[in-house]
Amino acid sequence: MQVEKFFYDNKSVKLFAYATILWGVVGMLAGLLISIQIYLPAANFGLPFTTFGRVRPVHTNAVIFAFVGNGIFMGVYYSLQRLCKARMFNDTLSKIHFWGWQLIIVLAAVTLLAGYTTGKEYAELEWPIDILITLIWVVFGINMFGTILKRRESHLYVAIWFFIATWITVAMLHIVNSFELPFSWIKSYSFYAGVQDALVQWWYGHNAVAFFLTTPYLGVMYYFLPKAANRPVYSYRLSIIHFWALIFLYIWAGPHHLLYTALPDWAQSLGTVFSIMLIAPSWGGMLNGLFTLRGAWDKVREDPILKFMVVAITCYGMSTFEGPMLSLKSVNAITHFTDWTIAHVHVGALGWNGFLTFGILYWIIPRIFNTQLYSKKLATTHFWIGTIGIVLYAIPMYWAGFTQALMWKQFTADGTLKFQFLETVTHIIPMYVTRSLGGLLYLSGVFVMVYNIIKTVKSGELIANEAAEAPALVKSTGHAKQYWHRWIEERPIQMLVFSLVLVAAGGIIEMVPTFLIKSNIPTIAAVKPYTPLELQGRDIYIREGCYLCHSQMVRPFRDEVARYGEYSKAGEFIYDHPFQWGSKRTGPDLARIGGKYPDSWHYNHMLEPQSMSPGSIMPSYTWLFENKIDTAITPAKIRAMQTLGVPYAKGFDQEANANLMAQANKIQAGLKVEKLDVAADAEIVALIAYLQRMGTDIKGVKSLPTTTK
Amino acid sequence: MIQKYFSKHNCVRALVVLITIGFSTNDAFAAGPPKVSDLSNPLAQVLLVIIVGLLLAIGLLANVILGAAQVYLQRFKDERKKSGTTAAKALMVVMICLTSVSLFAAATPADPAATAVVETTIAGLSFTSFYVLLGVIGLELLIMIVLLINLKKLLTKESLVMAEAAIADNEPIVVRESAFIKWWDKVNSFKPIQEESTIDLGHNYDGIRELDNRLPPWWLYGFYLCIIFAGVYLYRYHVAHSAPLSAEELSISLEKAAIDKEEYLKKSANNVDENTVTYLSSPADHEAAQKIFSTICAACHLPDGGGSVGPNLTDAYWIHGGGIKDIFKTLKYGWPEKGMKSWKDDYSPVQLAQLASYVKSLQGTKPAKPKEPQGVLYEEKAPATKAADSTKTPAVTGSDKKAVAINP
Repeated sequence: MQVEKFFYDNKSVKLFAYATILWGVVGMLAGLLISIQIYLPAANFGLPFTTFGRVRPVHTNAVIFAFVGNGIFMGVYYSLQRLCKARMFNDTLSKIHFWGWQLIIVLAAVTLLAGYTTGKEYAELEWPIDILITLIWVVFGINMFGTILKRRESHLYVAIWFFIATWITVAMLHIVNSFELPFSWIKSYSFYAGVQDALVQWWYGHNAVAFFLTTPYLGVMYYFLPKAANRPVYSYRLSIIHFWALIFLYIWAGPHHLLYTALPDWAQSLGTVFSIMLIAPSWGGMLNGLFTLRGAWDKVREDPILKFMVVAITCYGMSTFEGPMLSLKSVNAITHFTDWTIAHVHVGALGWNGFLTFGILYWIIPRIFNTQLYSKKLATTHFWIGTIGIVLYAIPMYWAGFTQALMWKQFTADGTLKFQFLETVTHIIPMYVTRSLGGLLYLSGVFVMVYNIIKTVKSGELIANEAAEAPALVKSTGHAKQYWHRWIEERPIQMLVFSLVLVAAGGIIEMVPTFLIKSNIPTIAAVKPYTPLELQGRDIYIREGCYLCHSQMVRPFRDEVARYGEYSKAGEFIYDHPFQWGSKRTGPDLARIGGKYPDSWHYNHMLEPQSMSPGSIMPSYTWLFENKIDTAITPAKIRAMQTLGVPYAKGFDQEANANLMAQANKIQAGLKVEKLDVAADAEIVALIAYLQRMGTDIKGVKSLPTTTK
Repeated sequence: MIQKYFSKHNCVRALVVLITIGFSTNDAFAAGPPKVSDLSNPLAQVLLVIIVGLLLAIGLLANVILGAAQVYLQRFKDERKKSGTTAAKALMVVMICLTSVSLFAAATPADPAATAVVETTIAGLSFTSFYVLLGVIGLELLIMIVLLINLKKLLTKESLVMAEAAIADNEPIVVRESAFIKWWDKVNSFKPIQEESTIDLGHNYDGIRELDNRLPPWWLYGFYLCIIFAGVYLYRYHVAHSAPLSAEELSISLEKAAIDKEEYLKKSANNVDENTVTYLSSPADHEAAQKIFSTICAACHLPDGGGSVGPNLTDAYWIHGGGIKDIFKTLKYGWPEKGMKSWKDDYSPVQLAQLASYVKSLQGTKPAKPKEPQGVLYEEKAPATKAADSTKTPAVTGSDKKAVAINP
């Protein structure tokens, strides 16, 4: 058998490692800032691009797609080459992949801070960037598959199964959820509306967690954990079962983000039961990880890398058990819209993704620099600081979420709400402060790592091209007495196709009926399209990220009906491109805010929230009073909406601005009576128009249709 | 073989229990819309979950014991050839195992009892249901205790034998693992690390080897159980309609709340409404009201009632009437189209009465920056005490319309 010599590309691994660290620090700093803004509104600095609503998406996008994203590529580029016994397919593609991804991140940060957002959580980036993401993802795919195809190893290791499933599923999710109709060079409206948009968005959102934060990291875990522990993988058959079960079941669970909403009940129930069925496949990964350490636990005591990995896997196990529990309606009724969700995702993000990344960084960097880790002690210190940070972050948030939900739900004996919304917020402010402390600790741990890694890098020299050798691939002959699964392990293309079939099934079965069967979203005759002014106001609402703190979904609970009004119906959202149901109530629900307060109240409240609700933690939006509504774009917006099926009269795009000004003048005149002077075309006027419209369509409608059971 | 039989048997039993739960609800609700049954009682649900969980635990324990006993039996056979000394002990262990098996078998009839309870459709959780369910749990706990005692005995016996064997062979005593570790190994059906090479698949990926350990049984059965749960869940909500969907849940809770409120108000002094409300003059009432006023009302009417977004409350002009009953009504139902929210879900009738009285008491005070009067001059039907302070010459006409104009 002929032995071939070749070189591993370590330079790309190094670049991705550096990017991981850099964006990790940036993302976590943004997180720390917004955590402080929650109890210190002054920390919003009164500037549009430093205000919570714009920084929060920067935090989530930076941490998910920049920190973890680069972490994935670092892990894949390192492990894939070694598992395939081949250099990455093409060095130019590696370069394009790396720099392309960093460009996306920078563009994302700039556009998000400038207020360009689609208003769909974790998919906020606008259409040009969406296209760029697709292209770079394809480059990554070609590079990965090229490497797999020219491999010198006959079978694909479990890590690669996960990489393949990740690649194809993320591609599918990104493309389907990013269907949007551009109306300017950078802005667009979601192709879907209301309930359908919500379903697609959370199908995407949930599976971004599944296939961006989970499966690729399980893949890298399968490589780096046995390597670091020097132990064989616990169970091959567990790998097989949990891999296929995981990718198949995960995709269905999206609707558990929409329990008790206007989504049809059958879809909600599917979300619940598939989440419950997910417990075992998720835990399969945890068990295979932890049991691989059998016989190596003495090493865990010594080795900070294994320590990081053990905590990471444990956090993975905890959050994948907690997730299904949160999908049970009775639990969800308490946890949803509260800080519980925040705690839950941070156990996953800080514990599983963060700690696994740190473990891998500590493992990779000395190896590609042909040196020893500068200080094991500092790494251990990092581990402890980080762990305490996670605990200090999570516990107050669980506590805050639980407390607030119970306060929301409390009634006095004579049937009135016991607490005003604001009281429930001010009550949990100490918990918010503690959370910042936990986050700060975790971030300081990262800085310790940065120092340690700089020192390590300085003590060694990069082996940009690491020499390796392996026998050329020989076509295996026959499968006498082979494990049945070995068949597909030799066929990456079949594996890709089969994965796609499995992951596509759940989405199709949930979406197609919701889109096609009318009874799922019964129409309400009283619900009319937004006026041009309201539409402009809605776009300002989206731009400022209001949806990040305010939901627009009154759930059918006694307390919500008492606090906010009639619960939300599916038919109310048919003109909402995109939907704005939200996922967190840092402020109260706004679905029925229309007509609740006078225009002047909104005016004063947006200018200085504390003047209208003393103790409020909402930032002020002073620039809305100076900025002018961009009326030049109104016709394009109307035409885009018409294309999407919103029934504006033919030629309405040309009358839209006249209509807009008429309504704006009316609001201006009303404010003038209250001695509030503002230009009729100021953005605040449009926003007030939108707020006053919200939820008013069905007022006085006697019989409301109910959604299918 | 026995082991296999048992794990399967156990699993099948769990399945039967769950399916009967599902179907019994179907029978109960075949007649029509959801009625309240024992099964929709949260307590019953919790108890059933505990019962099923304990059953699983019993199955696992029995599994462990049988495994241990088999090892023992093997040794017993080997030893018998050499000498008869340990035979008696081994025999005893087998006896213990048999008793535990018979005890385990005795537990089986308990399950039909559990399902039988489920089938009765008495409204609410009746005493019988409750105690039977509790009894089943008690019985299961008892079985577990017996099993644990047996296991402990078995393990001590085994280590005793091992120690004896070690002394006999004149070998150093190896450090023995704790009972927990043994149980843990069994529960996960671990292969001892020394025997690892027998399950090494010979794969080598960049130095990573793969073992072919059995799936941890509890994991596998847990997975099955989750799948069964999914079936039962969908069946209950969407086929049998024996569990309330979101909107039904709301109407149930609203009905219950209405009944509770009525009951409470019957007995309570809180039963004030716009017809019965009177002016409350005690300082305590005013103090309580002032608290609410400064947190809620002050936003629009200013802390001194001078008015900003909302009208001035200190003058004698009222848009919706200035009598105590009118103010109470305004607070209770609001004038949403004019920006005044309804507060009846936020504050109790007594609190609203206090608030109305406080607002009334503001009349005639001198706020720092009074808003111009709106509405019409209100005069109490009874001889006015501090009404018309006619030094002001308000532009009454049209101010009402102005307020309307705020909200198109």
